[in-house]
Amino acid sequence: MDTYDVIVIGTGAGGGMTIKTLCEAGLKVCALNAGRELDPAKDFREHRMPYDMKFRGQDSPARQRQSVGYMDNEYVSSDVWEHDIAYSTAPGTRWTWPRCNGVGGKTNFWGRSAARMAEIDFKAASRDGFGVDWPVSYEEIAPYYTRVEQMIGVASTIQNRPSNPDGSYLPPINFRCMDYIIEAGAKKTGVPYLPDRMAQLTQAHNGHPACHFCGNCTEGCDVGAFFSSPYFFLPLARATGNLELRTNAIAREVLVDENGRAKGVAYVDRITRQEREVFAKTVVVAASCISTAQILLNSRSRHWPTGLGNSSGQLGRNLCDHLYGTSGYGYMPQLLGQPSFPDNVSSATIAWLPRWQNLDNPKQEKFIRGYSFYPGGGCDEFPSYYDDIEGYGASYKAEIKRRYPTPVSFTVQAPSQQSEKNFVDIDPDKKDIFGNPQVRIHFEWDDNTLRMWDHSKQVCEELFHNMGAVYQGHGDPESPGWSLHETGTCRMGNDPKHFVTNRFGQSHDVPNLYACDASVLLNCTDKTTTLSVLAFSLRTSEYIIQQLKSGTVTSKAPSAG
Amino acid sequence: MAGQGPSRRELLQALTLASAAAAFTGFGRWGYAFAENAAHHHDTPKSDPGPHTNYNPQFFTPSEYHSVDVLCALILPATTSLAHPEDGTKTYKTQPGAREAGVAEFIDFMVFSDPTLQETFRNGLQWMDSASAPASTFADLAAPQQDALLQRLAFAAKHRAEEKVGQEFFKLMRRYTVMGFYTTRIGLESLDYPGLTFYASSPGCTHHGNPEHVGI
Repeated sequence: MDTYDVIVIGTGAGGGMTIKTLCEAGLKVCALNAGRELDPAKDFREHRMPYDMKFRGQDSPARQRQSVGYMDNEYVSSDVWEHDIAYSTAPGTRWTWPRCNGVGGKTNFWGRSAARMAEIDFKAASRDGFGVDWPVSYEEIAPYYTRVEQMIGVASTIQNRPSNPDGSYLPPINFRCMDYIIEAGAKKTGVPYLPDRMAQLTQAHNGHPACHFCGNCTEGCDVGAFFSSPYFFLPLARATGNLELRTNAIAREVLVDENGRAKGVAYVDRITRQEREVFAKTVVVAASCISTAQILLNSRSRHWPTGLGNSSGQLGRNLCDHLYGTSGYGYMPQLLGQPSFPDNVSSATIAWLPRWQNLDNPKQEKFIRGYSFYPGGGCDEFPSYYDDIEGYGASYKAEIKRRYPTPVSFTVQAPSQQSEKNFVDIDPDKKDIFGNPQVRIHFEWDDNTLRMWDHSKQVCEELFHNMGAVYQGHGDPESPGWSLHETGTCRMGNDPKHFVTNRFGQSHDVPNLYACDASVLLNCTDKTTTLSVLAFSLRTSEYIIQQLKSGTVTSKAPSAG
Repeated sequence: MAGQGPSRRELLQALTLASAAAAFTGFGRWGYAFAENAAHHHDTPKSDPGPHTNYNPQFFTPSEYHSVDVLCALILPATTSLAHPEDGTKTYKTQPGAREAGVAEFIDFMVFSDPTLQETFRNGLQWMDSASAPASTFADLAAPQQDALLQRLAFAAKHRAEEKVGQEFFKLMRRYTVMGFYTTRIGLESLDYPGLTFYASSPGCTHHGNPEHVGI
């Protein structure tokens, strides 16, 4: 049986970064991925029109019934999204959990908003007294953010905001008519409106072509004009000759030796259902926040009866997520009857309203911390405002056309706070079809998050007024899980009694075990998670290299400072 | 941020189905050209409302199907507009409507594919027929009477308390007509849908000096 230097479970943002970094350092890596490799020419159909597909873009009805994620549709091959690995939710918990099991994971389809976190995020607990500080300073992580931005290409501008440190940017995506209208309204409201940090290539970058602005990025990109692990990392890893990628390999548990240290991984082959084992000096779990916790909780042995590296009892705890919801929607009468304009060339947002709350005084608002908004609207593929117009006939058809450029809405991104009520554990009664005990999710929104939601609705009404727009209402919060920004479960911290991993993402209990995904992040902020997953994974990878090359594997990490 | 652009996602949610269309034999007027092994998807999608062939409804009776087709054409009719509004020449162009886009076929396919819709559509069509007395069906009504009935169903100010079933059916019928129409090439062209075009750089606003876009 071959023995590798490192096994990496997962090939998404965190796993991909780790695989690339370790392979380039000359380490022999075995990567396990729960699904197959994707072929953009066959699996991504982002350039199809709705009428090219049997259900106008909908997935086949049989698949749709099984679907636990909203991502399923005819624009992407239907086996790309997980349907076979079941999970449980505790009574009262709603959880939407689209999992991409294809190689590269969710980076194939991500929303690409890529803002840095800031010192105000890492030291938030010291400012407002809630929760715990992160065991890193912004100064310490900033160089990793810069390197990641240079690797993947992020389009934005220098903005000089305390909660949004500036980085190394490609030219921004241009503002559309709607952006100028919102910007003018935001100015009157006293809130910022700025180019988002978008990991979308406004010019060719590191051998990757510039974006062609077709607008359907979240159905996959067939030329790789935004960062994804299969386009940006895995080819570099393969080129070293140090990578063995095993696909359709569903990790069951991390195996331990007689000393309770990691020695390998047991996995199930999705196709043959055979169980296999692979061995290495070091194991990195990067299966995404909840799946990483599931694998470790299922890795029970006489050394680790409650899960591998769980002496703190914190494994699976402190699950956080972003509340997403439409805080306000309506239309901009200024644009009634205007010619159609390609407003959705990035399929998500071009600009955003970064956090402006509680910046000078941490307790200025009725909630702690802060949230951000993403605007949406303009000429889109479907006139989803059709039900707002009464009538039928020629006048109805003309009004649909007249209103086409005008819709506008704001999606809030409000972080939940650390809570004892929100965690994952193993369902004692249920196993999935591969024989693995199912993970069970416990989650509810906390009061602080709901106060942010209420605040965001009020701000929206004012913003619509100041934009000269017609406010029509707001939506409800989406189901938890919808944002795909879950964090926690393997939080990093200096005290082994309270944290699963140290400040390098290394298990306090098991020194040759690491987590390289959003599970090590302490909580959600007003920013998205992927850029931080990449930066922390890069840092952890280089720490692993240092540990393996020095031959002194220890979890006594040098203290912060 | 996860997920798709809001409108594609909303459309997909709206189209959520409950049953497979195993016996589906294909469309006539509205053909789809989805090929699992298409050579390369940068190719121009080749699907268009083809010439009308005799479409056999999968769910509706011939009479029901006729009513659906009539309703589609009333909800989103073919229209004419000035071909060159900017230069004032009085030449007109015809903009096809839901009938030309084969929306009745789409609705039949969707209702056939989703048992949870079937009773509602059948009852609704029966309600329309009974409200059309003394004509035997809605389709048999003269145009002014069809219009008078639709006015009562479509506008809140003209609603009648005893016509709840008809109002709900009209809403459903209009919803499926809109979904069917604006997912065809004809429907998207009627909006001058600007997506799925390739640009060398991101297109930006050209109303320089007028950020609030007043009086553009």
